[in-house]
Amino acid sequence: MKCTRCSDQAVVALPSHHAAFCAPCYLVFARRLVERAIKEHAMLTPEDRVLVAISGGKDSLALAWMLKELGYDVSGLHIDVGIPESSPIARGYAERFCTTQAIPLHILDLQSQGLAMCEVKKRVKRPICSVCGQTKRYFFNTFTLNNGYSVVATGHNLDDETSRLMANVMRWDTAYLSDQGPVMPAEKGFAKKIKPLFRMTEFETANLCFIAGIDYGHAPCPYSAKASFPVYKRLLADLEDIQPGRKIHFYDAFLQRGRQGFASAETTDQAVDPCVHCGYPTSTGECGVCRLRTMMKE
Amino acid sequence: MISVRLEPENKDVCVERAKTVTQLLHALGRKPGRALVIRAGQLLTPDLNLRPDDHIIVRDVGSRG
Repeated sequence: MKCTRCSDQAVVALPSHHAAFCAPCYLVFARRLVERAIKEHAMLTPEDRVLVAISGGKDSLALAWMLKELGYDVSGLHIDVGIPESSPIARGYAERFCTTQAIPLHILDLQSQGLAMCEVKKRVKRPICSVCGQTKRYFFNTFTLNNGYSVVATGHNLDDETSRLMANVMRWDTAYLSDQGPVMPAEKGFAKKIKPLFRMTEFETANLCFIAGIDYGHAPCPYSAKASFPVYKRLLADLEDIQPGRKIHFYDAFLQRGRQGFASAETTDQAVDPCVHCGYPTSTGECGVCRLRTMMKE
Repeated sequence: MISVRLEPENKDVCVERAKTVTQLLHALGRKPGRALVIRAGQLLTPDLNLRPDDHIIVRDVGSRG
């Protein structure tokens, strides 16, 4: 198989793009996918101070690497969620990567906040993935706003976005469908959030890491076995095998023609006010993380 | 006999009668586009031929939380 751009020996085949690339041309291809996402959705300006949510996995490391390659002012925030089986490994990958790439890295340890997920899991009745996600969003948002960053970037890829979209469609969850997308603007006390890798599949970010020499962690979270999104990922991957390109068409068409229909139908304008304890925007008086803190102290 | 290291589980297996990367992935119950196939530090595309004495890494790319 030959490289589509230069006819050298290809190392990555991408049926969904009707293309194959050698290593140098693959880096050009990946760069263009991210540049296109940033430009099409007005994600960043050269003046932005970008905080990248760095988990230590392939997507967040690929994102931090690419944004730095593109010349943006990038720092990382790693949240150590306090799961003994996986957190030290993930933290190690994040620290080694940022040291190697000279990217400033902040570490926020949930154990120091009294919110280590191994302890939280023993107390909550909700799915722990939901609680962990909510807690991480809280700290990424507050850290961004409190430390002079203009935007927080996450490594959500095309598989993440399409599986989430499919899950939302299967429930016809109009509230989530009305605001799913690669950019969430800064509003109502929330920081601007962007997903510059939304045009890249997991396979593509894995190839990017390999070719760029990025060593990433792949120890799965021990609590993630019951998560529902992997089921939708597998279904969509099977569909992609039969119809290459289906995932990006599904998501692009949703952004272009689907989302606005749900936005206009979603008339709920729930009041969002600062949390009575911490000031974080919430519709319930006391935000979820403050409620969690209170529960963990009891 | 091709020796294969499966990642991320770090399990070693041997595969007989796989002449191409596609056949190897099929024998392992995997599909192109869901795993990196690596030989001697180089990525392999599905069409490439394999040798009986090859040492291959098959690295699944799906994140699991």
